[in-house]
Amino acid sequence: MKENENNLENAVEALKNGQIPPGPSKDLADSTLAKLNQVSEQSDTKNSNKQVVLSKRFKLINVSFKAAAAVIFLIAVGYTAGRISAPKPMDMEQIQIALEPAIREKVLEEVTQYVQLGLAGGYVQIKQELTEQYQQDLREAAVEILTTSGTITNQLLQDLIYSIETAQFQDRQWTVAALEQIELNRLEDKGRFGNSLFTLAAQTVQTEEELNRTQQNVAVIAKILSDTQSDDFIQDEIENSNN
Amino acid sequence: MQVIDWQIIIKEHGHVVWNTAYRLLGNSADTADCFQETFICALKVCQRQKVRNFPALLTRLATTRAIDQLRRRFRREQNSIILDEGYVSSDSDPAKCVQQQELAVRLQKALAQLPLQEAQVFCLRYLNDMSYRRIAKELNIKTGAVGVSLHRAREKLRKSFSSLSNQQKSEVVL
Repeated sequence: MKENENNLENAVEALKNGQIPPGPSKDLADSTLAKLNQVSEQSDTKNSNKQVVLSKRFKLINVSFKAAAAVIFLIAVGYTAGRISAPKPMDMEQIQIALEPAIREKVLEEVTQYVQLGLAGGYVQIKQELTEQYQQDLREAAVEILTTSGTITNQLLQDLIYSIETAQFQDRQWTVAALEQIELNRLEDKGRFGNSLFTLAAQTVQTEEELNRTQQNVAVIAKILSDTQSDDFIQDEIENSNN
Repeated sequence: MQVIDWQIIIKEHGHVVWNTAYRLLGNSADTADCFQETFICALKVCQRQKVRNFPALLTRLATTRAIDQLRRRFRREQNSIILDEGYVSSDSDPAKCVQQQELAVRLQKALAQLPLQEAQVFCLRYLNDMSYRRIAKELNIKTGAVGVSLHRAREKLRKSFSSLSNQQKSEVVL
């Protein structure tokens, strides 16, 4: 395949790049020019011949037109003569005046009869149609009302459900908030209570220590007093300090 | 009608026509005939329409005439192309020169067997280096059609070359 492609390319190259003898020769150019002139003259002659043929054709067409115009003129003259020599037509107005009342009366009668028959037949039909139409309209209106009321009821119910759900939700929220507040209060109270207990415990310990110290002091004082005063006096002092 | 000085046209573009025709025909006598036919054809074209690009028109006409002549020649079953002494390869190696001549003759034969439009498109493109657009304009076809014709021509030429080489191989084996 590739070999063929190369061969083709080589062949093209060979054909393209092959040496070509210089040309055209002057003789060839001259003879070509002479032939061209000859052909050009021939075509000019042909054109002139064509023009002659065309002028002949135009003349022929001209004569034909003249003959056709003469024939048309003769036909027009004959038609005019025929029209002039034709008998006069009847007086249409007189005939119309004579026939018009009778025709009108007849037509009126027929129309009246036709209309009456038509009305009589049409009345029953129209009544029936109107009744049917009325019933049909009523049915349609009832259906429409039912549909509309159903839709409205559904809408109202949905609104009600929604408002109940909203109220319940709000109640729950409030309850939750109240419980949270109670819990917070409880925790706060618990804290305070604990703190108070701690304070109380501390104070109790302190009081106990003070009591012991006082007892010790009293004992010291009593000892001192026992050394200095009588036993009754000391007994009274002890009771006073305890109170 | 367009007024043309044919003497000037022949002087200016004669060599283009000569080269195009000689390249395809390979001998001076046929080329001279083709030369004259091309200019007569160009004259007729000028009588019908206004020509703007004479080199392109003349190249196209010369190619068409030359291909016609090639086809006539091969229709007469003259299998051997008569080559002038001037139709030689530019290569100095004699063996290569002969090979090139053979390839050129093969290509001429193959071109003569192609449909006219495909052969025209191939020659204008590869031998005259015309653009697709110019070829389309000259042959009055679409640019896409030029590509298609060129592709088909190449395929057919390639097949033609492969069949010839197979034939040669079988001859060598015998």
